Amino acid sequence: MTTALVADDEEAPREQLLAALRQAWPELQIVATADNGVDAWDAFLEHEPDLCFLDIRMPGLSGIDVARRIGGKAPVVFATAYGDHALAAFDAGAVDYLLKPVEAERLAQAIERLRARLQPAAPSNGELQALLERLATTQARRAPLSVLQASVGREVRLIRCDEVIYFESDARYTRVVHEGGDALIRTPLKELLAQLDEQLFWQVHRSVIVNHRHVAAAVRVDEGHMHLTLRGRPETLPVSRHFQGLFKGQ
Amino acid sequence: MNLASKSIDWSQLWYPGRKTPFTREELALAGGDSPSPTLIAVASVNIAFIAFVVLLLAPPAQTGRLTGMLVGLTVAASALAARLWVNPWRKPLLRAMLGLALVMAVMAGLLRYRIPAQSERQAVSMILAACGALVPMLLWFLTLWRAHQLEARLREHNERTKAIEMARRLATAQVEPHFLFNTLASLQHWVQTKDDRAAPLLAALTGYLRATLPLFDRPLLAAGTELQAVRHYLQVMQARLGSRLAWQIDVEPAAEPALLPPGLLLTLVENAIEHGVEPQLRGGHITLTGRMADGVVRFAVSDDGAGLAAGWRQGTGLANIRERLALAGGAAAGFTLNARPEGGCRAEIHLPYRAEATT
Repeated sequence: MTTALVADDEEAPREQLLAALRQAWPELQIVATADNGVDAWDAFLEHEPDLCFLDIRMPGLSGIDVARRIGGKAPVVFATAYGDHALAAFDAGAVDYLLKPVEAERLAQAIERLRARLQPAAPSNGELQALLERLATTQARRAPLSVLQASVGREVRLIRCDEVIYFESDARYTRVVHEGGDALIRTPLKELLAQLDEQLFWQVHRSVIVNHRHVAAAVRVDEGHMHLTLRGRPETLPVSRHFQGLFKGQ
Repeated sequence: MNLASKSIDWSQLWYPGRKTPFTREELALAGGDSPSPTLIAVASVNIAFIAFVVLLLAPPAQTGRLTGMLVGLTVAASALAARLWVNPWRKPLLRAMLGLALVMAVMAGLLRYRIPAQSERQAVSMILAACGALVPMLLWFLTLWRAHQLEARLREHNERTKAIEMARRLATAQVEPHFLFNTLASLQHWVQTKDDRAAPLLAALTGYLRATLPLFDRPLLAAGTELQAVRHYLQVMQARLGSRLAWQIDVEPAAEPALLPPGLLLTLVENAIEHGVEPQLRGGHITLTGRMADGVVRFAVSDDGAGLAAGWRQGTGLANIRERLALAGGAAAGFTLNARPEGGCRAEIHLPYRAEATT
């Protein structure tokens, strides 16, 4: 069965797309819906859907950011209102997009193409990835977070981000392991991800983000399992299937 | 002319056209053309044909005299027609008729003395009477036809002007397509699912569009009027964003009549939504305040979003705001955008107080 993720920050357009999908593609199973980019990315990692419908303008991570992270692991269809400058790039035909409010006829067309792309022999999408990278750089982006504030007892400790070794999701908190010890912060890992410097911090698992300067090696345990060893630290970090492509040797 | 009226309008009996003359402007707008060469050719052929038939029927002895009279009549009728062409209305038409009647009377008088033979006199009188009846009728038709032509042109011109004006207003109102289509997407879904939120959203959108269109008509606008548009805009966004948006408008009554360049408050609120509320995972709160003190009005829009990004620079939108403020309030007007210490941004405009009545 084909599974899908639908993300839009506004309730009505999201519901409208869901209703249209139920009508046009009854066998499609919607495994997750999200109302922001952060949750959409997290839900993608959790459910690994076959395809994604993403709104472009969403808080946290934009639809383009999420698509870039998905990195061709699943076809993406963007949903957008008129007036997104990104549309011009999509007209090149690299990515499919739907205009909101979604029309049944146009949706049927998109589904047709999606079905073709879901075939095993679908063409590679290096070109698409390049386009998404380019689009991502045109987005207004906030400077990455530089300092974290962690409450420990009565004091609030300031932790410089570049001193962090890794972040780990811990129930409703995020555990911050840094050069001077470790601490808990309230910001969920998935939200933190959107604020960190992408060059420095690599997400390697749904619940782990690592500062790549502290990674010593990636060890393949068996087909499908991999973990990271750290410089000067005994613990290992898991690498989930989606991220194993980050470590493929040169 | 009111066709629905049940009573008979007797003044329309002999001239069923408009009751007021065309104004000078209307005539300049619609009546600047001269008759087309085709029209003149058709008229000339008709006149020549009538003259030919008349001279064929006339007693041979009177041909010279009749020709003179017909030529005179044609010249007079042409001159009158030319005047009616330029100003087709009942007054000039009436004058033309009276003038013609006078000419006919003079001709009839001359006939009595100059043509002694009874039978010839009768034949010539008949011909002249026929022509004399034909000419006013032609003038009457010409006037009516020409008046209708001018009215149709004016109507067309008015409609075109209205359409252009509407397009101009829509263009300057800058209703952002992204805003419009996202709102329509919500509306469509709620209408389809018979959700109760559809009606208030539609009302707010209608109110917003209605309030926005006249905004840009005038160089300056009372703050209170623009606040109507701002309220409708926030209502629309509230319906769309739900609990992610909270807002509050707190404007002193004393500040409401203050004249502002139109669209400024709306732009500030739109910016706060776009940069302060929508990018936040948990949404945000917007406050619009208006204060009057020492002859200066201040309007401020605050949000509790992420504040100004490092390396932030003023875009063209803000430069535009500054420019329009300076135009309205000179050096005493100003615009500031700051990060708030408690988080988020605060945009403020201030300018010398001027109210509607004093301008």
